[in-house]
Order: sequence, then structure tokens, then C-alpha cells
Amino acid sequence: MKNFNIINLTKGKTFIHQLSGTTKVRLFAALMVYVMMSFDLPIILPLFIFSIIGLISLKPSWKTIRPIIFFVVFLNVLNIILYWLADPHCGFEYTADKTVLFAYTNYLVVTRGTLWFLLVRLLKMLTAFSTSLVFIMSITPSELAAGLTSLGFTYKLGSIVEIAFRYIPDISRDYENIAISMQCRGLELDAKKTKAIERLKQMVIILIPLIITSFDRVGNISNAMDLRGFGKGKKRSYYSEYPERRNDKIFKLIYCLIALFCAYYIISGLITPRVPKMWIYWRCL
Amino acid sequence: MKKESFGKILLGKWDTKTIVGVAIGIALFGVLMVYGSITVFTNTNLSLAMIVPVIVGGLFGPLPAALACGVGNILADLIGGWGFWIDWAIGNAVLGFIVGSLKLYGANIDEGVFDVKHMVIYAVLAVLGNVIAFGVVTPIATHLIQGGELKITIAQGWVAAASNATVLLVAGIPILKALAARNARGTNLTKE
Repeated sequence: MKNFNIINLTKGKTFIHQLSGTTKVRLFAALMVYVMMSFDLPIILPLFIFSIIGLISLKPSWKTIRPIIFFVVFLNVLNIILYWLADPHCGFEYTADKTVLFAYTNYLVVTRGTLWFLLVRLLKMLTAFSTSLVFIMSITPSELAAGLTSLGFTYKLGSIVEIAFRYIPDISRDYENIAISMQCRGLELDAKKTKAIERLKQMVIILIPLIITSFDRVGNISNAMDLRGFGKGKKRSYYSEYPERRNDKIFKLIYCLIALFCAYYIISGLITPRVPKMWIYWRCL
Repeated sequence: MKKESFGKILLGKWDTKTIVGVAIGIALFGVLMVYGSITVFTNTNLSLAMIVPVIVGGLFGPLPAALACGVGNILADLIGGWGFWIDWAIGNAVLGFIVGSLKLYGANIDEGVFDVKHMVIYAVLAVLGNVIAFGVVTPIATHLIQGGELKITIAQGWVAAASNATVLLVAGIPILKALAARNARGTNLTKE
């Protein structure tokens, strides 16, 4: 089971775990808007620090999440380098600065504006990642469904996401079983020994039984849900939801403030466009 | 067999079975995003997850396919930790809708109807859908949501479109044929 261990099906004991599902989902939604809306370091950095604190406070099993973190950091750094290779002046639009720091050739130059833009961009991506990691590790499928309903979505969407979360571990186990039994019959799946197109063809052999077993479940699950009267009422309540506790009320205030700030920031940015588009440290020196 | 109206097929029937089907589709999408992908370019994989909307579309209709593809993409991003790319999720939803429209042109995986004619339409739609979804919709969404950086997104979009179209053609047609053949087993019996 590669990295599906981060989904937990039972509620944990730490502070963030104990918040209600509604609080978690609303806070996450507000924070995602918050991190996506700008490239300003003073806005992104506090959230990054808080999300790291949040991650540590969850007492995760570092053995499970360390490879994920390494992988994501590697991927994002690679991404940044490719951005730079594709367009060495990609930060100009944001920073309006073309001071050259190093120049390898006429094309490959490192400008101050681009360097700053790419570093902030990297931090922004890592912040989005660490926030969503905290979110996904602290929430259970049932709480997620309850939270989505509280955002105003129909409960059927909540149920879809809940069932999907519930069955990801099952399907990934099926996948591994099928892959192993196919390898027993002589299917070469090693990435180094086969070409991409060849692997694609072999994956088809694994996929057909996987799709059949996965969708054979649909009948069973939907019958069981129908028998329990799913979809008969206009609304439904959730087992994991309870009246707000003290901590939920504190966080309600926090996410309301964040949402207000986001609304203010986005609207003010639309009325008077910021020049340059991002906060730059050398302009404040 | 009663023929359903065009609009009805377009929207799909939102009963419990469809809901569970979409949910399983999303789960499968998430699993395949992590296991069944061969990296080509940053943020872009030769991903077998793209098969899922086709199957969901074949079984339940285009709108469930779009939902499975879009939500599946968000969920896979959360689990795999690639960050949050709502613009790509929108592109994926559009793609899911287009390639998941098998029922609209008469292919019916449930009853084993998938002929050469359907194969050709499917192939055309797979290519066309990718061009629309990643060549047009995703860059627009990126521009609206994140602003700027269109050069990279367009480059990634074309790579994504090419690799998705490859997966949909090389892997999609054999899988659809196999599933149709499996479901067709009992349909040549006539009621006496």
C-alpha cells in the first residue's frame, strides 16, 4: 500500500483531530483560497509555519509521510527548474525587475525578479501541499462528507466522496493482488526492463480484472444503501457531527476572519491592480 | 428495450447505483493516478486513470463521468500530494464529459454493444476531447484562477493531451472491447 496509509478511518486524539468535520472543511476551504490568491511572501509564510506546526501536532508516523514529503519537494524543485528553463524571464510579469545576477548564455540568465518569483512560487506550492496534508491526515471520510454538506453541497456529493475514500484502500489492495498474480504468470512490470508503450499494454492486462471487480461491487453497495433508505429524504444528519464545542467556536471566528480578509484582498486587487503584482523584499529595504 | 431520450442520457439517472458507481470510479481514479502512471513531463503522466471516466461514462452517462474525473483528480491530488490544481480538475471534468459520452452515440457497454463504428467515434472524441480540454479549457481556467504563466501551462497541456490521447487509444479500446464482450455473453438469448 504505497501512500494510502495517510487516510484514517477513525478519529485521532490530538487537538486538530478533535475538531468537528464542519470546522475542518470550512477552514481548509478558506485556507485554499488564501494560499491561491497571491504571490505575497508576508501572506504565505505565516500559513506555511502554522501548517508545519499543525503537521507536527498531529503526531504522524514519520516513516509513512517522509517519502511523500521528499517526493513532493523533489517534484516541486524540478518543476521550478523547468519553469526557469522554459522562460528565464517568467518572473518579469510579477516583479517587473530585470536585474541580471548571473548569465550563462544569452538565453539562460538568472534575473533577480525571476529568482524571487520562483522561490516564492516554490514556497506557495509547498504551503498548499503541507496544508492539504494536514487536512487529509486529520479528517475521516464521514467528517469530510458532513463538512461538504455544511458548505452547501447536496449530501449526495458528500456520500460520493465518502464512499470513494472508503474504497481507495480496498481497490489499491486489489490492484496489488492482481499485479502480483499477473507477475507470477510471467508479466514483466519492472520499469527498467520494459518500454513505456510496452508497459501501457501490460497495464491493460491488469486493468481489465481490476475494473470488473471494482464495478461488480457497485451492485452490492447500492443495494445495501437502498435497503437502509438512502436518498429518500431531502436532508440527512451525520453520525460524526455534534454541536459546536469551545474549540470549534474559536476556529469559526478564525475561518470567518480569513474568509473576510480573502474577500477584501481579491476585491481590492480587482479594483486597483497591484504594481508590481507581488510583494518584493528589495522594495521595502 | 425502451429508448431513452437524449437529454435523459446526457444528465444521467442519479439513483443510488449511479452515486456508488461514481464513487467507485473516483476511488479507482485515485488508485490508478498513484500506481498506474508513467512520468513524461512535470505534472504530467502517461496515466491510466484516464480510462476511468470512459468506463463510468459507458455505464452511467457523461455527467457522472465528468464528476468522477473532476472530483477524482482533486482527490488524487490531495492524496498523492501534488498540491491543489483546480484548473486541471476543470479540464479533466470537461475531458470526462466528452470521452464519457459513449451512450450518446449508441455504444452500450452494459449490453455488449461496441462495434467498429463506435470505436471510430470514440477515437475521434478521445483526440478532440483532449484538445478541447487541455488545449483550450485548462489554459483559460489557469489564467482566470492563477493568472499568468500561460506558456508553461500550454506546453504542459499539449503534453497532457498527447499522453492522454495515447492512453485512451492504446489502452481504452482493448478494455472497452473486453468489457463489452464480457457483458454480451448472455444477450443473444431470445425470450420464448
